[in-house]
Amino acid sequence: MDATIGLEIHVRLRTVSKLFCGCSTDSADAEPNANTCPICLGFPGSKPKVNKTAVEHGVRIAKALNCSLSPAVRFSRKSYFYPDMPKNYQITQYDEPLATDGYMVLNGRRIGIRRVHLEEDPARLVHVGGDITSSRYNLIDYNRSGVPLAEIVTEPDMGDTREARLFLEKLGVTLDHLGVYDPHAEGSLRVDANISVEGGGRVEVKNITGYRNVEKALSFEAVRQRSMARMGVEVARETRHFDSEKGSTVSLRGKEQEEDYGYIVEPDLMRISLSPGWVEEIESTMPELPDQRTRRLVEQYGITGFQAGVMVNTGLNMSLFFEECCHLYGDAEAVANWLVTYLLKSLNYLALSLEKSGVRPETFVEILELIDEGVISERTAKELIKDYADGGKSPRQLVEEKKLALMGVERLRDVVAEVVDANPQAVEDYLGGTEKASEYLVGQVLRRVRARADANVVRKIIKEMLESIGDNASVAQ
Amino acid sequence: MNVLEQARRIDRRYKAFNHLPESLEAGAEGRLAGFSVSVKDNVCVEGMPSTAGSRVLEGYIPPFDATVVAKCRLEGAAVLGKTAQDGFGFGTFNVNTAYSVPLNPHDPERSPGGSSGGAAVVTTAAEFPHLAISESTGGSISCPASFCGVVGITPTYGRTSRWGLIDYANSLDKIGCMGKTVRDAALLLSVISGPDRYDSTVLHSPVGDYTAYADEQVEGLHVGVPREYFAEGVDQGVSDAVWRGIKRLEGKGAEISDVSLPFTRYSLSSYYIIAMAEASTNLAKFCGLRYGLHLPLEGTFDEYFSAVRSEGFGDEAKRRIILGTYARMAGYRDAYYLKALKVRTRVIEDFKRVFRGVDVLVAPTMPVVAPRFDEIADMEPIQHYMMDVLTVAPNLAGIPMASVPCGQSDGMPVGLHLMADHMGEGEVVRAAAAVEAG
Repeated sequence: MDATIGLEIHVRLRTVSKLFCGCSTDSADAEPNANTCPICLGFPGSKPKVNKTAVEHGVRIAKALNCSLSPAVRFSRKSYFYPDMPKNYQITQYDEPLATDGYMVLNGRRIGIRRVHLEEDPARLVHVGGDITSSRYNLIDYNRSGVPLAEIVTEPDMGDTREARLFLEKLGVTLDHLGVYDPHAEGSLRVDANISVEGGGRVEVKNITGYRNVEKALSFEAVRQRSMARMGVEVARETRHFDSEKGSTVSLRGKEQEEDYGYIVEPDLMRISLSPGWVEEIESTMPELPDQRTRRLVEQYGITGFQAGVMVNTGLNMSLFFEECCHLYGDAEAVANWLVTYLLKSLNYLALSLEKSGVRPETFVEILELIDEGVISERTAKELIKDYADGGKSPRQLVEEKKLALMGVERLRDVVAEVVDANPQAVEDYLGGTEKASEYLVGQVLRRVRARADANVVRKIIKEMLESIGDNASVAQ
Repeated sequence: MNVLEQARRIDRRYKAFNHLPESLEAGAEGRLAGFSVSVKDNVCVEGMPSTAGSRVLEGYIPPFDATVVAKCRLEGAAVLGKTAQDGFGFGTFNVNTAYSVPLNPHDPERSPGGSSGGAAVVTTAAEFPHLAISESTGGSISCPASFCGVVGITPTYGRTSRWGLIDYANSLDKIGCMGKTVRDAALLLSVISGPDRYDSTVLHSPVGDYTAYADEQVEGLHVGVPREYFAEGVDQGVSDAVWRGIKRLEGKGAEISDVSLPFTRYSLSSYYIIAMAEASTNLAKFCGLRYGLHLPLEGTFDEYFSAVRSEGFGDEAKRRIILGTYARMAGYRDAYYLKALKVRTRVIEDFKRVFRGVDVLVAPTMPVVAPRFDEIADMEPIQHYMMDVLTVAPNLAGIPMASVPCGQSDGMPVGLHLMADHMGEGEVVRAAAAVEAG
């Protein structure tokens, strides 16, 4: 084993309003401090009130991660002074987390989930003229203050950085399927990673955003800690900060400086019972989870496990897209093939998500229909798909505008005849037994008609034409 | 002389207000039409400076009304002003304040009690229709009502909304009322009680008209006298006055019996640990960032926060922050905070057991009459805390209680304390009215 890794993942829950007040959570286009009220600003006399949907999202996560649910939801105050904290305590869960003792299966192995709990997000600090270590002052945007988070804490069950990344990816897809978070929103998944190497203390790297950064931060730490161990320097227990620009970590505080949060129960909130009836109601709305979904797609549509896996793991919308296409177009294997092999490749190339691209099921199946109708060649289709993914234009529109339709057979015969006439040497070679001379003629035709003819059709016409020339020649003898 | 002028005169004489407005706005109709309602400074009034008696909130003007204030306005009351108190409610004599110390109208050399001292002073001195919104965490309504000889009702925890109350200890804080008579206090209680969607801890059951209970009908009422509440430390004069009140109840047909509340002796320590632990988190938000006292921006945020808090908090607030933080730190949390919560459960069980046999309990409100300021100056903090020995147990249990005047000792008023089971405000009012009628 390379290292011992455990993760604490903060997921921003997808709710209309904040965890303890009615302010909107959607601040993407809002002025700083626009979505605030006395509650999320921590004004004297204000009291929190629990958002039911956030609790339900928490229950969904707990169930998806095979956890035992607490019989009730109880909040606590975690006290520490920091300018992003309106009350200088965070309302979170401590002694009685929402859920405990779960797991997620990753490549046949169980990664333990220690706990899942709900808490409020602090405000956002804007480090003016630098970063956390160099800026001269901060501005505070309370729009984020009170946004609901679920914190998922794993057991230290991951053995290397790649496994940590795969775990996060699978967790992200699971949360996406549950509909509890927005995978595309900035900072919707933030990670504190704990890593230690043999003989060393546990090092916590705080507040990493994005799967790739987690892998980078952990790789940096693994190398740093191992080389320290090799040099005989003890790796002390500490908390570090990841600098995503430099790809390195720096020490924030040592063990002896660790805070004592002095938890007490949040006396402004009652214990909320998670009655069996309520939990059942939430469970009855639980969607299919990624593994289940992959299996079903294989069974229902006869596609390969690889194809189903790729679609599901790209995100819920991708496999929903697939299923909608299958409604519109009967050949699921063809849909899967075109989607997984060509559409995803184009989207990756363009660095576009399905949601942000102009791709829609009704227009995507046009590609398959155009091939079936003999309007375009497969080769044209493959080239067309990138333009289609990039812009808003449908494949039929693109075929029209770019004149990509295949020529009629009669017109193609004319072109073939012209090429054959213009290349008597090749004809002679072919008739003389050099079969591949015909390929030269195919190439010449395709050069003239570009994508508007299918190579196999051209090949067939040339063969027929050459054979008939040969027949005539032997008759003439 | 209009009401505002009279209030100013009371303030000049007894220093009862932290704020008085320029003019009064009253509604034309409603159950409180014609009444002025004074509001303890820790209860937010929109547009009126609300400091909870602390410098750290100097200049703070809340952007919203507390629910209880809004309810009074809806019933036609005029909001008279903000009454003096110990900072954040930390005190028994109203001397722990950044602002002027209110004086007892019966003897200005003496304390009116705390922490709702200003409320009791105005209630005593007002010669116009007046009711006082006050608040109790461990006895802050009963104590000043007793020292000033007025009626103070502390309802069941959760009977009144705490939305808009600047918190001391959220699991203990109750907004209640004072009046010259039981009927007055009961009227205000009827108005301010009831469900509120802004406070998750509020009780949802409907509210009756508590004035209907002020009928003195105590025939057959079972009255328990807990012997621990007449023990050593209670002044003989106080005890005698309270016994005269008990005899009055008996004379009107109440059945008196001796009962015991053995857990009361642990309630003071449990109370102070819980109250200070919660208070130390509540006070963390006062750091000069968004409201209240500000200082020139200098140094790191830690240095700035510390400077504001060093300057803004009084000694008692600092003492409670330090003690409260200690009680919830890792390593001490089990021994203090969590144990105090367990004791609290036992105190509640103690009361529940007794209330299976009696309808109300009766005891002295305070062990003494209002002390003189020179006596207070000689007291150690622990002696201040000991003054609450009779009021903290019912406050810890969250049961309703009322202090009603029952006579005098040393020429000063003595308060008789009536307590009932949760939601038993009606019984408390009934018994109090019988004591009051003499």
